[in-house]
Amino acid sequence: MNTKPFFQLDRVIHEKGRLPIMSLLAASPELSFTELRDTLKMTDGNLSIHIKTLQAAGLVSVTKSFQRQRPLTTCALTPAGRKAFAAYIDLLEEIILQARPKK
Amino acid sequence: MRLRLSVGRVIRGQIVPGVSPFFKFDAVGFVAQSQIMQNDWASDNLRVIRTLMESSAVYRRALAPVMGLVGVTGIAAGALGVALNFETPRRFVVYWIAVALVCLAEAFLLIRRQAIKDLEPFWSPPTRRVAQAVSPAFLSGLAAGVAAFMLDATRREAVLLIIPIWMVLYGLAMHAAGFFMPRRFRMFAWGFVGCGLAILGYLICASKAQCLPPVFPFANGAMGVFFGGGHAVCGLYLYFTEKRGNVA
Repeated sequence: MNTKPFFQLDRVIHEKGRLPIMSLLAASPELSFTELRDTLKMTDGNLSIHIKTLQAAGLVSVTKSFQRQRPLTTCALTPAGRKAFAAYIDLLEEIILQARPKK
Repeated sequence: MRLRLSVGRVIRGQIVPGVSPFFKFDAVGFVAQSQIMQNDWASDNLRVIRTLMESSAVYRRALAPVMGLVGVTGIAAGALGVALNFETPRRFVVYWIAVALVCLAEAFLLIRRQAIKDLEPFWSPPTRRVAQAVSPAFLSGLAAGVAAFMLDATRREAVLLIIPIWMVLYGLAMHAAGFFMPRRFRMFAWGFVGCGLAILGYLICASKAQCLPPVFPFANGAMGVFFGGGHAVCGLYLYFTEKRGNVA
């Protein structure tokens, strides 16, 4: 079995908590912190740690603003994040193709 | 949601049996961990990603209160219309376009209130997608209303045709929006389309048999029952089945 695709999987994305965040953000231009938290049923602390990790890796950008004098945190994929996510999906497809029995 | 990811184990710095000691742990533990996973974990991951991407695009603002309020407004407007007993198609069309605008305003205010309460933007991407999906059918309905107003048919019975046209177009609008909403929403869309076609069939049969009902009481009553009642039923159904989460 060719292990190359396994090596290439982005470790930041390939994590139980962070992959869903990346998936949600990939389908939307941006999502608020509360939207992410409610959809993924994560705690505030857990989600913010994952977002910080993704932000530190340059995959996600976080914007803090105010809406009606209340703080609003929105997250979006950076161009690098979008590229990394697409590459991650390509690798998964490659792994699936490898696992499929050859005729 | 569960990701089927196994976690590799390290006991006192040693890699667990079954994983080649050829690999140094830190860099390669990840690979080792991946190798001991089931063959289908990658496809499971892809499935999870797809589900999440779909759910990200779904409009899930609490619709029960919106539907309920629009339903009550529609029923009240139908009753008022019957009581007012319009004499011209123009008045009928203007009256119901005004009712539709009131209903739109109610829906806008309720949804905006929910968005503010949840600290979320009102004009979110799913809201935008739903608005884009309904706008062709809504505009067509408005155009049909304007056409009926401009023609001001000499035969008053002609105004009855606007009811099935509006109902079918409204059903189509809901159906289009249903692609960005929970699936059951499309069931109601089919209900509106079905009712519109049934009314059309009834009107054709009644016209052929020359036993059309009294024009304006029927028209207002039908609008009240089908639009108002339809939304009220939809609101009740959603009230008892909708998740209390509220994200658009």
